[in-house]
Amino acid sequence: MPAIKFMTFIERVPREFAAAWAIARKDMRTYYIRPNIIVMGILFPLFMFLAFAIGRSAPPGTLIPGLIAITILFSASSIEPVSIPIERRVKTFDRLISAPISMHSLVLGESMSGFLYSIGIAMFPLAIGIIIFQTPIVSAVTLVVGLVLGAFCFATMGTLLASYPTENVGDVMSVLNLIRLPLIFISGVFIPIESMPQIGQAIAYFSPLTYANDLIQYAYSGSTHFGILPDVVILCIFILIFQFVAHGLYKKFNE
Amino acid sequence: MYAIETGNLTKQFGSLVALNNITFTVNSGETFGFLGPNGAGKTTTIRILTGITQPTAGFASIFGHDVQKETILARQSIGIVPETSNVYDDLTAWQNMIFTAELYHVGRSEREKRAKSLLETFGLYERRNDKAHGFSKGMKRRLTLAMGLVNSPRLLFLDEPTSGLDVQSNLIIRDIVTDLVRDGVTVFLTTHNIEEANVMCDRVAIINKGRIAAIDTPERLKKTIQSVQSIEVAFDRTAPDLLSELRNLPLVNDAKKEGDKIRLYTEDPSEVIERVMEYARTKKLKVIAITTLGPSLEDVFIRLTGLQARSGGYYASD
Repeated sequence: MPAIKFMTFIERVPREFAAAWAIARKDMRTYYIRPNIIVMGILFPLFMFLAFAIGRSAPPGTLIPGLIAITILFSASSIEPVSIPIERRVKTFDRLISAPISMHSLVLGESMSGFLYSIGIAMFPLAIGIIIFQTPIVSAVTLVVGLVLGAFCFATMGTLLASYPTENVGDVMSVLNLIRLPLIFISGVFIPIESMPQIGQAIAYFSPLTYANDLIQYAYSGSTHFGILPDVVILCIFILIFQFVAHGLYKKFNE
Repeated sequence: MYAIETGNLTKQFGSLVALNNITFTVNSGETFGFLGPNGAGKTTTIRILTGITQPTAGFASIFGHDVQKETILARQSIGIVPETSNVYDDLTAWQNMIFTAELYHVGRSEREKRAKSLLETFGLYERRNDKAHGFSKGMKRRLTLAMGLVNSPRLLFLDEPTSGLDVQSNLIIRDIVTDLVRDGVTVFLTTHNIEEANVMCDRVAIINKGRIAAIDTPERLKKTIQSVQSIEVAFDRTAPDLLSELRNLPLVNDAKKEGDKIRLYTEDPSEVIERVMEYARTKKLKVIAITTLGPSLEDVFIRLTGLQARSGGYYASD
């Protein structure tokens, strides 16, 4: 295979992306309508939202940015923690780890399916805000950036947690929820960061949801806690950290 | 250039030595059997050769590509058919084929041609739009093999290809493997079916407790234990204590019942035949068939691994 031997990095990139996209499409066909994904990705954030919204004096429309933020958190991070343990159990995961593709492409492909699922699901709260509550959007571009970066960041986080070498979906889901649920309380989704105690504000800096939520809040209100550029940069850093840690863990745990 | 080359391959999991200085080569175009009892190190070897697991020491290469350093290049030339038929149940046969082709970077028009041709070869083309979860075990096995061939591999890893299959699927798979070998594909076959290895393989390696116990052609391996000869005898009826009485005949080392026949192990078959005929006359039994047999590959396997064959696999002697 001399043609392959001298393949440059530039030539390899499109092949790796094509393989990653194939993995994402396979996940879409196979896992999007699984009951546990629907429950964790759609119903769970909806009930979380209702739990916060009911009884509060604030107009429901003002809670739409928070609903979008937790929707992308839960939907984006729910696909891989379900699909990868199942694939380990039925041994289809061996196909992926023995294919002539980089582990980065595997992680990227797995994350892409969670990302696209999340973007699709986020259209529901977005539509509810526009159609039912006529919630105005101040910056559509910032909203798109917040949705894309947030969804990709949480999807990569889900892929990272799914690296834990188990065939049992519950093992990953329990760890995932241990992380996701506290994130809602410390990331300024329903309680503004300024109103949180000092320790809460300090912890908020370590949550990717803080920055995704800040971007989405800006898109609706025109005000931001950290600024758009820092939000974007920090979310990109989170994505890179999750991607590289996931890459390392998948390599380690395949041993 | 060797299809597979390993040198002093060692793999440790903590204090457990799964592979201990394994060195072997597989020639291009060869069908190479890799036999061993459960836990001998077969799966670990395959996982290292396919780049999934890193060896603790030593090296492995596929067509000259170091599996550790040039993993993707090494994998590009191989097809893998694992023991478990790992098809995607929620995808159709066609989608399974196309997805695998995409993973192996097969071009769009080529992958559709390959998918069609392979599904036809394996008798699955008519069911191409059906999801795999409705397939029988044999159909899933055939689909797994078709997926392993979609990238036209030069080296095929076949793990227990016919285990537990119906006769039709078994025959289809064996015929196709024969065709692949004729077309120059190298086959690395792992199997518990020693007769299958005997019939299909140019050479076999017997691995036990992480070490290679022997590597040679099946016939040469059999010659190493010529002392294990036997005769197979069938009587017109059975008699009480028949097996134990035959086992106690002079010069008989052991006796085993195999269906309606009894196999007597001996170093002097001609003398034992006379003793058996005499025994039959005494007991008023009629000998309806009697054959002398050389050592089988299974005998070699049992001798080299010190195991006992029982239904479902090979186990350490008590």
